[in-house]
Amino acid sequence: MKAINQDFDAIVVGSGISGGWAAKELTEKGLKVLVLERGAELRHSVDYLGEHAPDWKLPYQGKKPRELYREEYPVQSTSYAFSEATRHFFNNDKQNPYVRDEGKPFNWIRANVVGGRSLLWGRQTYRWSEQDFQANAQDGHGIPWPVSYKDLAPWYSYVEKFIGVSGEPLGLDELPDSEFLPPMGMHKIEKTIKGRLKRKAPDLKLTMGRAAILTQDHKGRAACHYCGPCHRGCSTGSYFSSQSSTLPAAKATGKLTLRPDSVVEKLIYDPDTKRISEVRVIDSRTGERFSFRSRIVFLCASTVGSTQILMNSANEYFPEGLGNRSGALGRYMMDHALGMSALGFFVDDMDSYWYGNRPNGTYIPRFRNLKQQDESLDFVRGYGFQANVVRMNWQTGLNKKGFGADLKNSLRKPGMWVWALSAFTECLPDKRNRMTLHPTKKDRFGIPQVVFDATWRENEYKLWADAVQQADRIMKAAGAVFSIQQDSIEVPMGSGIHEMGTARMGADPQQAVVNANNQVHGIPNLFVTDGAAMTSSSCVNPSLTYMAFTARACDFAVKQLQAGKL
Amino acid sequence: MNRRQFLECAALLITGATAAQAGFTLTEEQRVYLATAPNYIAKPGEFLPAEQKATLAMLTETIIPRTETPGAIDAGVPRFVELMVFEWLTPEERAIFLNGLNDLMATTKESFGAPFENLSEKQRTGILEELEADASDSPWYDLGNTGMGEFVSDAPFICKLKEFTIWGFFTSEVGATQVLRYEAMPMRFDGDYPLGEDDSSWSGMVI
Repeated sequence: MKAINQDFDAIVVGSGISGGWAAKELTEKGLKVLVLERGAELRHSVDYLGEHAPDWKLPYQGKKPRELYREEYPVQSTSYAFSEATRHFFNNDKQNPYVRDEGKPFNWIRANVVGGRSLLWGRQTYRWSEQDFQANAQDGHGIPWPVSYKDLAPWYSYVEKFIGVSGEPLGLDELPDSEFLPPMGMHKIEKTIKGRLKRKAPDLKLTMGRAAILTQDHKGRAACHYCGPCHRGCSTGSYFSSQSSTLPAAKATGKLTLRPDSVVEKLIYDPDTKRISEVRVIDSRTGERFSFRSRIVFLCASTVGSTQILMNSANEYFPEGLGNRSGALGRYMMDHALGMSALGFFVDDMDSYWYGNRPNGTYIPRFRNLKQQDESLDFVRGYGFQANVVRMNWQTGLNKKGFGADLKNSLRKPGMWVWALSAFTECLPDKRNRMTLHPTKKDRFGIPQVVFDATWRENEYKLWADAVQQADRIMKAAGAVFSIQQDSIEVPMGSGIHEMGTARMGADPQQAVVNANNQVHGIPNLFVTDGAAMTSSSCVNPSLTYMAFTARACDFAVKQLQAGKL
Repeated sequence: MNRRQFLECAALLITGATAAQAGFTLTEEQRVYLATAPNYIAKPGEFLPAEQKATLAMLTETIIPRTETPGAIDAGVPRFVELMVFEWLTPEERAIFLNGLNDLMATTKESFGAPFENLSEKQRTGILEELEADASDSPWYDLGNTGMGEFVSDAPFICKLKEFTIWGFFTSEVGATQVLRYEAMPMRFDGDYPLGEDDSSWSGMVI
């Protein structure tokens, strides 16, 4: 093994949403930073190979190569963002497997390039509310958050001003406003629906989706050009990714070293200093092993990735995994149960169409159990609805009967409007939902494979059932001529790609892995700032909150360094 | 990449012009963009004998004929179907397709004394309607089959033929740009864009 002592001040593991922020913040504060990314090199713009490719250029004109996906991407290909235009961003399941129990499946969707899932994310961007941070303390599920909305609010503002978030301010406690760029426009049918809901379901708000997509030029990045499929990569950097935003900012300081193809095997703990002293790395191309040193280490390798590293770093002082004196490591895994709850069909505004592919939908913020538990409900917490609208077209009519000019003519024209409501339900932190390392099965680097034992529980199913009932009410109020419902949660845990928990935050070292500053209890120079640190899940998309926590933890860590405490 | 370079690049990618024609140079890496790749149907390889090719072409044209706008043959759909049958279907599915095609060719000759492609439009449509009636209990016709989900592996020949013809047509360059409407770089979003009685949908699967 080669020891490379280039005297880094900080090592950041992962280059996605959280890692990019850690790299930016730490370098801008003057630290010399090494970012280790297990995925391959990927250059902004130049390597967005699928960007703007029309259907007729795609292999099979967009029909998915079934055998390849079944053999090499059985899990990744379940993602909505997976196609021949994006496959090169994703993990190859065959090369990098985990143990998937078909009886209790868990879908682990992973990127495998510099930029990570920030290239592929849905870009929906919502602040958590005070209610979200108080939920555990109030209903007793999980442990209380040691931070409140007020602690995080300035950090939300800080990251929003940099990434650019388009949206409409509503002044709601349950969905605090961000620092907004102008919202995207609505379809006429959405305005029609909004007007009807205002009268017939006045307890609901319908607003434009809040998205990390630019509606005007912002910090050297161009406004959206509305080509549509963001997740193919965006040369103009019109949506936030670490590739378009945080990594270039970190590079600009001259303090960043980014090393792709670097699989972190484990962290070495020094019992004398009670610090992490080394980061052990395997080069995924050559198999060569390296050791890097730094004063502080930030784990931003994704929820599962970071916890896998902590678990594989077990030693005689931390036999159950690094920082795991609480027994919480690997436990309290959460995800959002999401997917189509209802489809409504509309014949209004048939003479209105759209120009431009808006990569964003509308949103109905949580309206259940607001302020306090509604005693008439048999579940705790709530859900929000994300809604998208399309018109039926040749694809939805692909299997209609008939031949000839009439068929051609009917297929080429837009049909009815379809409004799809997708519930995003909060998931309770449940001790039984966990990941572990397999005792014998290893990956190609000799690292134990991850095993998942996690599933939706009673409260998630009840939330979903309520969401479907409410979706029916909403469809009626909205004026759908008919609607159809998805009665139960259709997809396994992990499919929301919002996996959270497994190294949870809490004030008590006996119950939590990291403290209120994302610092691992008992190992002061080690920080976990990605989804692993989440103690509850809210019902809104989590990425913005990872960014805010990461920026906040960087600020804390650097102040500690400056004070000579680290 | 600044906005001007980006738009130049986008224009290049969309028109398929070579870098030299466009008057500026793409890096070597940019040449591997899918957007600069040859059209899928330009892929080389011979699979079907001439007789089958002629019948297949007329089958696709019967499903999507040339009207005041281009039809299946104009859009290269016969080539798309041929490629899909030999490069995308499993051996079992291919057998269903080829047996179906051969049966159709044989029974047409038997009943009409002429190959399918020589029959009148009415006769050709009649033959397909009969095949469709016989296949109508296939789950391929279930509500919600959009061609994006599971391929209905055991669906009869007529279903596979229709799926590839319709998919191949509306995702082809000709179908997407001349029958549907295509705008790669809209630059703005307008949620109330007028739709005339005879206007087509936008093309693009956007995944």
